[in-house]
Amino acid sequence: MKPTHQFLAEDTVAGYEHKTIIHGVSLSIPSNKISVIIGANACGKSTLLKTMARLIKPESGKITLDGKPIDKFAPKPLAKVLGLLPQSPIVPEGISVSDLIGRGRFPHQSWLGGWTKKDYEAVAEAMEIMKITELANRNIDELSGGQRQRVWIAMALAQQTDILFLDEPTTFLDITYQVEILDLLTDLNRKHGTTIVMVLHDINLSARYADYIFALREGKLLAEGEPSEVITSELIKDVFGLDSTVISDPVSGSPLIVPIGRHHVVK
Amino acid sequence: MANLTASQDKPQGTQVPKRFAIVLIVGLIALGVCVLVSLAFGSRAMGLKEVLDGLFRPEVDSYSASVVQKRIGRTVFSLLAGGALGVSGALMQAVTRNPIADPSILGVNTGATLFVVGGIAFLNIGSANEYIVLACIGAAITAIFVFGVGSLGRGGATPIKLVLAGAATSAALSSLISAIMIPRAQVMDQLRFWQVGSVGAATWDDIAVFSPFLIVGILIAFVTAPALNALALGDEAATGLGVRTGVLRLVASAAGVVLCGAVTALAGPIGFVGLLATHLVRLLIGPDQRYLIPMSALAGAVVLTVSDVIGRILGSPGELEVGIVTAFVGAPILILLAMRSKVRSL
Repeated sequence: MKPTHQFLAEDTVAGYEHKTIIHGVSLSIPSNKISVIIGANACGKSTLLKTMARLIKPESGKITLDGKPIDKFAPKPLAKVLGLLPQSPIVPEGISVSDLIGRGRFPHQSWLGGWTKKDYEAVAEAMEIMKITELANRNIDELSGGQRQRVWIAMALAQQTDILFLDEPTTFLDITYQVEILDLLTDLNRKHGTTIVMVLHDINLSARYADYIFALREGKLLAEGEPSEVITSELIKDVFGLDSTVISDPVSGSPLIVPIGRHHVVK
Repeated sequence: MANLTASQDKPQGTQVPKRFAIVLIVGLIALGVCVLVSLAFGSRAMGLKEVLDGLFRPEVDSYSASVVQKRIGRTVFSLLAGGALGVSGALMQAVTRNPIADPSILGVNTGATLFVVGGIAFLNIGSANEYIVLACIGAAITAIFVFGVGSLGRGGATPIKLVLAGAATSAALSSLISAIMIPRAQVMDQLRFWQVGSVGAATWDDIAVFSPFLIVGILIAFVTAPALNALALGDEAATGLGVRTGVLRLVASAAGVVLCGAVTALAGPIGFVGLLATHLVRLLIGPDQRYLIPMSALAGAVVLTVSDVIGRILGSPGELEVGIVTAFVGAPILILLAMRSKVRSL
């Protein structure tokens, strides 16, 4: 099992050049759990995730890993603990599945050391977890969207970090693949204890797969907690401005949001 | 380099590109052949026996021997310069994640040329060292300018915008070069040959001055290759993997500029070699920089040396400058590449 880490954001203010998007967020990532950040479009979900994953330097406030600010770590050692799968990484033309996944080993390799047995094992294990071993020698260009996403997650897994940030890992995927990806990530968390923090669009899948939810509105943390505690019709109204009824998901028992629009409402 | 024994245990994790061994062997054979051909052809063509006699038994035929000896320097320089241009192209493509980034297309060559021409006309420079330093400064300034202009507006430095910025800059700098040269007839004679790109004029002393730049540039390329592999996945993914993207870009582009600048200083602007070499290699063994960079050096050496031989054959009894030959071969390839939609994503 992966070791426990304390990952904190303290009063974090962050954004892009001329626009502050995150206005003072403090949170603690539950170790060895799956956390999901939810919120409406442009509420700062991805910005918060990127700031925690050190892609964006916060304007003020601190992001710390085990008490040490993340910008005080050397990049490679930090990359052994903290992994990241961006929303739209770039696929180099003509790259094979195993080459791409192997690039996740970068922080573990020294220039002269080259590829060690550990590297091969990590790549093989990542492919096994994502169930893509038989695709190893295929070109990424030939794969379906769902397979591609599994390859990218395998790349992040080959990095063998204790904490993994994923920015909308299920976007653009059919519902079948969305469920498949979330199941695989859950396997990873349950078997290896990897701390997972991700941004998801689908609120019902978030409620089902998250151990812990962070709800964001306009760059501020509105609520946090286990889905069964925080997902209520009041919260959905606050976060998304949407009327809804929350029922118990007949499959998982987690909260299920049933939106109420202006049409198709049985009186 | 990859651990071969482990890759046999776990074929699914194999990291050496498919066909790498074959491509390497074919490449080395091609290199050997082009060395022989380069020694044999010229205004006086020689048979294999004459070449070998000239090389190893100069006492048999002293005339052949002196011709071959003269061609050795030229061949060595064209191999080194071609290798440098191949690596320079690979580095610039990796840094910009742009498949058509080549020193000549980005106008970097022309910038180097302008500075050397200016140096000769106004500063009376004469030594190879001065050529190289001025060429590198010119190359660096042009590279920064073209990337700056090409990155303006939406979407950052797309291949199309970079080509346009490079072509426009190149045209402007070329006219400046003409403006400097035309009123100076005596400088022009000295420069005419150089300005089109020719490997024929290099002396052993030039090669000695050139070598340190080549070695430093290629060493940096080899050291940065794994990080460049991470950079290929995008800046965000690379940062997540522990790469300092800013530092990496700076160091790798500096190496690319030095390699291109040093070649341009001694041989004049030679276009398209980096583009041809890297695309040929990428087609054969894929995009892994750890293999792409050394193989691009090999391919660049072959491409430039073969082009030089073609120039000597076509231009006989004089010679056609190698810069003209590479442009004739390279331009159609560039058009082909630009027409493919995939060019946008490297």
